[in-house]
Amino acid sequence: MNGGSLLPLAVVLSSLLPGLVIFALHEEQHRLRIALNLAGAVIKLLLVGAMLVGVAFGLEFRFSLPLLPGAPLLLHADALSLLFVALSSVLWLATTVYAIGYLEGSPLRSRFFGFFSLCVSATVGLALAGNLVSFLLFYELLTLATFPLVVHRGTSGSLRAGRVYLAYTLGGGVLLLAGVALLHGLAGSPSFQAGGYLGGQLAQHGTLLRVAFVLLIGGLGVKAALIPLHGWLPRAMVAPAPVSALLHAVAVVKAGAFGIVRVVYDVFGAETLIRLDLMQPLLWLAAATILYGSLRALQQQELKKRLAYSTISQVSYITLGVALLGPLAAVGGLVHLVHQGLMKVTLFYCAGNFTETLGVHRVQEMDGIGRRMPLTMTAFSIGALGMIGVPPIAGFVSKWYLGLGALEVGQDWVLLVLLGSALLNAAYFLPLLWRGWFAAPADWRHGRWAEERFETHWMLLLPTLFTALLSLLVGLLAGTAISPLGWSRLIVDREFAL
Amino acid sequence: MTPALLCLALPLVGGLLLVLLRPPGGRWTIAIALASLLAAALALQQVLEQGSQLLQLGGWPAGLAIRFRLTPLAALLLLFGALLQLLVALYAARSRHAIGGEDFWPLSCLLQAALAALWLSADLFNLYVTLELLGLTAVALVALAGPRAYPPALDYLLLSLAGSLAYLLGVAVLYGRYGLLDIALLGAQAEADAATRLALVLMSLGLMLKAALWPLHLWLPPAHAGAPAAVSALLSALVVKGPLYILWLLWREVAPVELGRQAGPLLAASGLAALLAGGWSALRSPWLKTLVAYSTVAQLGYGLLALGLLLHWGEPRLDAALWLFVFAHGLAKLSMFLAAGELQHGFGSRRVKALAGAGQSLPLALFAFAVAGASLIGLPPSGGFLAKWLLLQPLLEEPQRWPWVLGVLLATLLSAAYVFRVVARGFDRQRSRRPARPQDRLAQGLALLPALLVWALAPFAEPLLHWLDGAGR
Repeated sequence: MNGGSLLPLAVVLSSLLPGLVIFALHEEQHRLRIALNLAGAVIKLLLVGAMLVGVAFGLEFRFSLPLLPGAPLLLHADALSLLFVALSSVLWLATTVYAIGYLEGSPLRSRFFGFFSLCVSATVGLALAGNLVSFLLFYELLTLATFPLVVHRGTSGSLRAGRVYLAYTLGGGVLLLAGVALLHGLAGSPSFQAGGYLGGQLAQHGTLLRVAFVLLIGGLGVKAALIPLHGWLPRAMVAPAPVSALLHAVAVVKAGAFGIVRVVYDVFGAETLIRLDLMQPLLWLAAATILYGSLRALQQQELKKRLAYSTISQVSYITLGVALLGPLAAVGGLVHLVHQGLMKVTLFYCAGNFTETLGVHRVQEMDGIGRRMPLTMTAFSIGALGMIGVPPIAGFVSKWYLGLGALEVGQDWVLLVLLGSALLNAAYFLPLLWRGWFAAPADWRHGRWAEERFETHWMLLLPTLFTALLSLLVGLLAGTAISPLGWSRLIVDREFAL
Repeated sequence: MTPALLCLALPLVGGLLLVLLRPPGGRWTIAIALASLLAAALALQQVLEQGSQLLQLGGWPAGLAIRFRLTPLAALLLLFGALLQLLVALYAARSRHAIGGEDFWPLSCLLQAALAALWLSADLFNLYVTLELLGLTAVALVALAGPRAYPPALDYLLLSLAGSLAYLLGVAVLYGRYGLLDIALLGAQAEADAATRLALVLMSLGLMLKAALWPLHLWLPPAHAGAPAAVSALLSALVVKGPLYILWLLWREVAPVELGRQAGPLLAASGLAALLAGGWSALRSPWLKTLVAYSTVAQLGYGLLALGLLLHWGEPRLDAALWLFVFAHGLAKLSMFLAAGELQHGFGSRRVKALAGAGQSLPLALFAFAVAGASLIGLPPSGGFLAKWLLLQPLLEEPQRWPWVLGVLLATLLSAAYVFRVVARGFDRQRSRRPARPQDRLAQGLALLPALLVWALAPFAEPLLHWLDGAGR
């Protein structure tokens, strides 16, 4: 076993070990806890950077342990897994800083940051999982690690949200288990491979493959918040803002969408799926989710709820891109994994800043907030315009490729969905921007950080500006090889063997 | 003396000496459990190297001697039993409130001896004797909880005697028909005639009553919930597995294959009913330990389900699933009962409701409960997951078996519901109360230990499965 094979393990451990130590810390050991958190996040980033360089030059990193007969625990870094790992690692660092500021002075922080680290470890493990059994393992661990964060406040509202969250995700987990076990019986659990490994079963077990696909998508669709499995997401917005960021951008929702990408490309493979006739229903489901989420977002008067429904809509862009099964659409879907993450995390940070500083929860209370908190409002505007798809912000790039991809495979009606969704996005985001910048200031209650030197606590402001800047930069620099777009193209080249 | 016989002799002699000399504290019990653990490890090594062996006691000729038999499965069960005894003894030595009195120590040694004899016995009458010993010690242990536990202990005693009696009747019928008691010889001669059928029905009913298999489980929840925490842990994790083992022997090694094929669906259906009904009762129970006890009723259903389907389809792969369930459930349930004991003691209340805020005030105990519960649900990579995976594989292969899969998945969701019902309560900060007593971190840690072990089973899955492979005939 050489050093390269240990890298994927090290990436998982770089958050797991600090997390376990943090559990054992006393509440008052702030400095040590912060140091552990940040050290873990920075080390993870460095390790991920090393792997990115390696994979770009065609190296492979794999680590395996015996787990089940015929199905080892396999961690494997390929281009696709690194896309997700890089996103989670960057956003984890930002969200850790944010959470430290957000939770300053509140109780039970050791528990919070412990589970927070476990959550990211599970996400990274899931991204690096090299076969379905390993993926299932981390997928379930992610459910377990996020539950305590959702109910962190311990109020009856958050407990109710936690119960709903568990009911959905554990139900999804059971479906996933059934699907994975079924496929294991058919074809074993080999490593993920471009083009899938089920082509040989097609002639004999067509129906079983269909059942397995439905089970897998059902299981993954819960976390990816595909309708009608989305109900947990808007309810979970009672969690603290860093947890919302985690759910919506860094980990949970993304885990579902990423799983769909894996299953479609590396388990079944595009060709097999076309012959099984399964992609059209998934495409419709994704399109319906996109429109439904936007329509519901339009009705929400609570800021975080509006953002939550917007996530339901936006994450389905990823599924849409994958379900189109063309290379260009795939680029659009994959790059949206990153772009949506950056923009949505920015929006949730902003919502948290508004709440913590001025006690703003509802949309009407945002009137004139741009005058009081111009930097946060700028970040919010970047995120919102990006979501609508205004160039040159990240969201535009995703939509451009999705549109091209739809034309490429002859599914022109998807353009209408994209257009409709952009209009709906504009309809629920632009009024917020108008209120924030141009309306007469509302009468705010004073939150915790109203008297800070900057417009709010600097640890809340810094990550917000950082991710807003990133959303802008990845759009501006989309043409370069190191951008998420460049990397998504690399993935698609390898997956489709272009 | 071979290591296997040491596993029996050590706790037997030790337990009797403890009864006579009454040294205070649990040191000696821990030492005995540790020594038996080492002996069991040696026995396992021996049986893996040399294969199954017959052990004759006292130099009597075959036919008169008490015959023991060491198979890989028996060796694993010896090891498992000794490990669990050690874990409980360690916890009990720290947490005096969980044992109900000094009599716990000798009794738990005798319990270990009875179980060791049970795993090793090679004939049906021997097994009857060990069953009686096991039942009586278990009842005595339940009664340690004091006068409030007397009624359930008495019920347990009466039903246990009824079960043994039914079993003994069946043995008598078999003896009348074949003139044999040895399991291997009987297995070679048994035919599917009326007498054999009658005997099998009687023995199975008796054993199902003793193992609290649905629908003969009603005595278990009050008895296990009423006992002191360490006793509940032993009863749920180990004692009910004894009759289950005999049931398995009976159907796997004695009963003719065609009778097994006929009885299989009945056993499996009863197992599934246990899973669903037990899970539902656990979900509805207002008392913490009753919830855990009903979870035992449910989880035993997995074993019975695996046994029934194994017999019906002649699917030897399910043997491994069955025994992995037994091992994983044993370790997880140990943790769960010990954690429940800690929580109950800490808050001074037996209600699930009283646990609000446990995540803050007794975090380790709640964590132990959650970790153990996650294995019972079957979340990967815990031992419970391995077992469920092995159970699902043969079931998924043919679509006409899928209704059973659906049942197993439903049971999984039910178990998740009752586990998280407790865990979620622990996160409630609005209604949280301060615990009545200061928390004991070491005791909570010892309660957590078995649950960590069940999660650490995964790397050992391959050798374990290899050893279990030869478990059936």
